[in-house]
Amino acid sequence: MEGMQQIFSDFFSTVGVVDSIRVTLIMSFWSTLIASLLGITLGFALERKQFPGKRAVIRLNRTLMGAPPVVIGLLTYMLLRKKGPLGSLRWVFTIQGMVMAQVLIITPIICGMVYSYAVQKAPAIRAFAKTMGADRKQTGRLLLREMKNELYFAVVSGYGRSISEVGAVFLVGGNIKNNTRTMTTAISTLKGAGDYYEGVFLGVILMLMAFAVQTLADHFRKEETGDENF
Amino acid sequence: MKISRLQKKMGDFFLNIDSMKLEPGKVHGLIGSNGCGKTTLSKLIMGILTPDSGEIDYEGLTPRDITMTSQKPYMLHDTVYQNLIYPLTVRGIRPDEKEAEQWLSRCGLLDKKNQYARSLSSGEQQKLSFIRAMIFHPKLIIVDETLSNLDPDSTELFEKLILEQQEQEPVTWIVISHQLVHIRKICDRVNFLEKGRLLAEGTPEEILMHPSHPSVREFLSKTEIFYQNDGDTQ
Ligand SMILES: Nc1ncnc2c1ncn2[C@@H]1O[C@H](COP(=O)(O)OP(=O)(O)OP(=O)(O)O)[C@@H](O)[C@H]1O
Ligand SMILES: [Mg+2]
Repeated sequence: MEGMQQIFSDFFSTVGVVDSIRVTLIMSFWSTLIASLLGITLGFALERKQFPGKRAVIRLNRTLMGAPPVVIGLLTYMLLRKKGPLGSLRWVFTIQGMVMAQVLIITPIICGMVYSYAVQKAPAIRAFAKTMGADRKQTGRLLLREMKNELYFAVVSGYGRSISEVGAVFLVGGNIKNNTRTMTTAISTLKGAGDYYEGVFLGVILMLMAFAVQTLADHFRKEETGDENF
Repeated sequence: MKISRLQKKMGDFFLNIDSMKLEPGKVHGLIGSNGCGKTTLSKLIMGILTPDSGEIDYEGLTPRDITMTSQKPYMLHDTVYQNLIYPLTVRGIRPDEKEAEQWLSRCGLLDKKNQYARSLSSGEQQKLSFIRAMIFHPKLIIVDETLSNLDPDSTELFEKLILEQQEQEPVTWIVISHQLVHIRKICDRVNFLEKGRLLAEGTPEEILMHPSHPSVREFLSKTEIFYQNDGDTQ
């Protein structure tokens, strides 16, 4: 029994499990929050506004939705490194830097999803608002309220991406123990050291978190399609 | 209300209304075949669409005085009651629950007051959207085929609601319907649209009983029963 506990606490402290969970949660909270605000605003704006080059912007958005995170990570790193254009921020190897990379990865995903939903739903909602005499502000609020399931779904998808991402976080954060090491980068470290079981243990926790998030997403998804009157 | 030289292109479709008048406090029927532009014209008046050219003179009516029920009414993701009072909420009016319940009870929706509006049948949704349009006393109400989907009792009820309203406090109506019997009963004026143009305008008697325009005759001969063939031999 004593031995088991020893092994366990060794594992916790050598890899910094508790800190890696903390870092993952902080990072994904901020990146999801910022990316949601940006993505929802941009997604609605993209649906609403007509401007030259709109189709190209939409195509770019779709491309970015599928962009490999590690590439975005590299670009962010180059921006943030000491000699880079944003070097003065001193964000390399910090949680802020990781959040920045993740915002760049997740915003297009949320924006693209919100745009697609808005194309389907917003015109009818806006027309309805007009017939009811709603002003601009009331119409905006109505859009958010009537599309809240879709918006939740987009945000939750972004969050799911955020906690599971590894490449960009590794490049920008540097996987520094008790500092910028996340659950995903901790798993790579454990694998490197041959500690497969510990890696799997952490992986299970991560999967449970992803599962919880997915359950939430499915819940909203179901409500969204469950009420159509064909 | 006056419409002059109103034009709107929608894909291959071209709406072109040279001149059209709506008389305050009167019920105007808008008839014509599928795709002739009835809904498009209504959306232009409602301000949901903007015209390519031409003018609509609202003669003092503001957007808040005008409402429209659509062919497929939008239901908020909320209860029947919340849907009904939404236009009041928008205007900052405290809804009178008793009055709202009277509206619901008149169209048989009172026991569904707290039901999720999207779970109503489509006929019930249309009834709800109809009373939702009336509850805040707008000055122009456009009813786009809201009555087509209703059972005979409900159709009769709505004829009654419209006529009652006109007795108490006349408002301007545009009623779009393919049920010409119904148009004949409730309308003061009838407008006939074909391929985006206003071809004929007159009293129900003139348009439906003694149509002079060949297109109107053609339309009526296919759809309805009561047009009298004024001496034409076949
Ligand atoms: N967004 C659009 N893009 C292209 N064409 C459109 C669009 N909206 C409407 N149209 C066309 O405009 C024409 C008139 O449509 P509208 O809905 O006004 O007809 P309607 O008289 O209301 O017909 P119905 O009796 O079937 O309701 C139709 O031929 C339709 O295909
Ligand atoms: Mg129509």
